[in-house]
Amino acid sequence: MLRPASLWHFCRRPRSARVPAENLGRREVTSGVSPRGGTSSRVLNIFDRDLKRKQKNWAAQQPETTKFDYLREEVGSRIADRVYDIPRDFPLALDLGCGRGYIAQYLNKETVGKFFQADIAENALKNSLETEIPTVSVLVDEESLPFRENTFDLVVSSLSLHWVNDLPRALEQIHYVLKPDGVFIGAMFGGDTLYELRCSLQLAETEREGGFSPHISPFTAVNDLGHLLGRAGFNTLTVDTDEIQVNYPGMFELMEDLQGMGESNCSWNRKALLHRNTMLAAAAVYREMYRNEDGSVPATYQIYYMIGWKYHESQARPAKRGSATVSFGELGKINIPEGEKSQ
Amino acid sequence: MSANGAVWGRVRSRLRAFPERLAACGAEAAAYGRCVQASTAPGGRLSKDLCAREFEALRSCFAAAAKKTLEGGC
Repeated sequence: MLRPASLWHFCRRPRSARVPAENLGRREVTSGVSPRGGTSSRVLNIFDRDLKRKQKNWAAQQPETTKFDYLREEVGSRIADRVYDIPRDFPLALDLGCGRGYIAQYLNKETVGKFFQADIAENALKNSLETEIPTVSVLVDEESLPFRENTFDLVVSSLSLHWVNDLPRALEQIHYVLKPDGVFIGAMFGGDTLYELRCSLQLAETEREGGFSPHISPFTAVNDLGHLLGRAGFNTLTVDTDEIQVNYPGMFELMEDLQGMGESNCSWNRKALLHRNTMLAAAAVYREMYRNEDGSVPATYQIYYMIGWKYHESQARPAKRGSATVSFGELGKINIPEGEKSQ
Repeated sequence: MSANGAVWGRVRSRLRAFPERLAACGAEAAAYGRCVQASTAPGGRLSKDLCAREFEALRSCFAAAAKKTLEGGC
């Protein structure tokens, strides 16, 4: 329920080969037990958070870091739209995994009084984008929030929860720091993201090396997301999905952009090496199987947007079973005024 | 990472030339891609070195393109 059974991880020739090269060959399922021995075997430990911080720091201090911002900017603006849709203002808000603050730049002082920008990478916080809202930058790991209960009116999170090890616990913590009648608006990558890359790498590795290793991250399925939010205590859930397709000249440019975004693989069981031959083969397969008419290749990013509320007495509750006073059968008898009748 | 990142820098610059060389070998790449894609059809089975011949053609074209760009100079 927590993660899909088959795991695919994105491997990008990690610059620090701290994980020894694993055996080639078929890998089926990686269980949730950490090979490094976490504090308890129950705790999921899929991603190396330390490495993720280093990758994000590296990405943020690159010379042309704005070149890779397009996806985050787009999703940030859509989350800001959803914030504006709520006819309320939020005195205190938190952006979890904010990066350079892609959501804050679209919001205004009337909607959000004060914004806490929380991220795991200090270089990203140092280069934050301009916004008119007063902000406080905090260095925070999404897995352990240092805030008190009932602090924030609004918590937003854009494209960072897919690197969290214990997603149920992270959602519970978000629920904890929200005030009653507070809202959480989040966006994370979903099941079909980068499926073209995943398939190309899998096919090429099987043909070239006789087996394959996961290279793309495991993503949460949309059903699981609803369950997780409910389990964390959120009410009135809304989950909707959006697909953004970006065209690239080829597979190498896609992989370069993913690394520039700070989205390189950081799972513990990633393969330390991606052979040049396999990369070449995968690029050829990608182009042949998925290319567009103009010769570019598409990459699909599937984004799940979720909205959840913390309970407050003023919120509408579903009616009790058996309390209906009219029947659905009477819908046909509703009189529509003459002027409004459509054909 | 090493102190000055020399090795990594070299590897990266080599990798940056890949797309250009791949573009020069469009036909071989398409042939290899078609071979792999054919094995994904129902009834096909993808095994190691199923398309080794096409891949060899692609690799030698790729190496030739590499040599050409080296001699041509950047």
